[in-house]
Amino acid sequence: MTVTETRPTAAGGSPPPNPAQRLTALPAKIAKSPLLARVLFPVFLFLVWELSLIAVEEIWPFAVDVLPTPSEVGAFMWDEFITDTLARKNLYETFFISLRRLMSGFAIAMVLGTAMGLAMGLSRATNAFCHDWTMAILAMPALAWALFNSIIFGFDDRGPILTVILAGIPFVIVNVREGVRNTPRELFDMARSFQVPQSKVIRHVLVPSLMPFMFAAARYCFSIGWKGLVIAEVFGGQDGAGWTIKFWYDAHRAHGVVGYAAFFVIFAILFERLVFEPISRRAFRWRPQLQTEVVEEAFGEHHEHYGEEETARR
Amino acid sequence: MAEIRIKNLHKEFGVGSDKVVALEDVNLDITGHSFVSIVGPSGCGKSTLLNILTGIETPTNGTVEITSDGHVAAPGYVFQAARLLPWRTVTDNLMFVQEDRSDDTKKRCQRYLEMVQLGDKGDKFPGELSGGMQQRVGIARAFSIEPDVLFMDEPFSHLDAITARALRRELHHMWDETKKMVVFVTHDVGEAVELSNRILVFAKGGRLEDDIQIDLPFPRDPADDEVAVAKAHVLRKFEELDLLAS
Repeated sequence: MTVTETRPTAAGGSPPPNPAQRLTALPAKIAKSPLLARVLFPVFLFLVWELSLIAVEEIWPFAVDVLPTPSEVGAFMWDEFITDTLARKNLYETFFISLRRLMSGFAIAMVLGTAMGLAMGLSRATNAFCHDWTMAILAMPALAWALFNSIIFGFDDRGPILTVILAGIPFVIVNVREGVRNTPRELFDMARSFQVPQSKVIRHVLVPSLMPFMFAAARYCFSIGWKGLVIAEVFGGQDGAGWTIKFWYDAHRAHGVVGYAAFFVIFAILFERLVFEPISRRAFRWRPQLQTEVVEEAFGEHHEHYGEEETARR
Repeated sequence: MAEIRIKNLHKEFGVGSDKVVALEDVNLDITGHSFVSIVGPSGCGKSTLLNILTGIETPTNGTVEITSDGHVAAPGYVFQAARLLPWRTVTDNLMFVQEDRSDDTKKRCQRYLEMVQLGDKGDKFPGELSGGMQQRVGIARAFSIEPDVLFMDEPFSHLDAITARALRRELHHMWDETKKMVVFVTHDVGEAVELSNRILVFAKGGRLEDDIQIDLPFPRDPADDEVAVAKAHVLRKFEELDLLAS
């Protein structure tokens, strides 16, 4: 129903006058409101999806058995959401199991990776010793770790957790090492000139200067680890998100596979929005806001007179 | 009363044919409420002298004593760049270099922030301030530990002319009010003449070439005849040294 109404607009045909007016006003609105643009993107995506399926089915009627429509996927996701599922464990149990594994692997990768990164950043010898194998782990696809670990550990938690660690740890090591190499020397000199005690320097200079690198490390480790975990669960799990998507694949339910993949994305986005973003906003309050930068650029010409204005005002 | 005594100070870098003499037999006394500027062409050893005075480098020969009423003097520093902790607020940047976090200390920090006209900016982060304001915070930080001697290394060289001028006036005012000794390194002769009551001119090779007293009243206007004459004198000295060097 929605489709037929909006089809002329989406297809770019000759729309009636009213939508035409809306169309001309739309670009300006989108430009003004990033939220609107954000919302429009999925709407547009679903439209293209639904419309292209209709087109494909015109040519190949059996497509309906293989290619799920948005509404089928939506219905599947809703059933999962209300825990009405054919799988052995419902959505929440499944994601809880996966999250537990992800968090264990993530925590271990962060702790070990930070220690390794600190050692490699501080000592040339350690760096020379570890550099090549770090790169080797970095180059290894998560799939290889997943297969290898499922052969060794069989179908328990250890395989997936180890896969998360191995997939994530090189990113932690490399980021923390760069952080240590980029510590602000001039701030340490300043602290020494003012005879600030070492413990205070670590707390107020070293740790905050490492924070951006730790955050980059955590984000990479989390997202790469998550992808590794899903693969590991496909091969070496009896439950969890990866295992469940394989379950739908084995059951020849295309909408199940697509729907579960969508849950992965939603899970990752929710985690980013609800965990990383708030922590990052708090930790990096000191960073000049994007707006401030823009304003400074815009007023670049006046900047030279800033000091004068400041004093004149007093 | 703070006192700096430099005796037969000699500093070299490198060995053998790579040997470079940075300071050659410098003898110098600075006492009391003076504002001493160290000027000279680049490579004359003025930064090295400051590094030795602040303890970052050790002399090859000779001695440096910095005392205040018989005990070791407490130094304060203002750097070329403000060197603030970007992740701490202005107030916390001042608190970072304090020995304690008592209410008295907090009040003192606030007083010095007000002295550099940033009393209302304590909760801002350095990134939210202009370059001139950041340097003001750096100056407030140096004064806030109430040092016996203040060392300043070209603190205004990164700022635009107008901001620098405003800050020079503030600095002079603070020096006058707090009666501290200031040792000020600069390559700007005009700045040195405007602020100092004593100018030490160093030549390439680290020799102390001239020790000029400037007894003109403050505040000094660069357009004033006497100030212009003093500046011209120092500049002429500079040119002579440049000729000698080339």
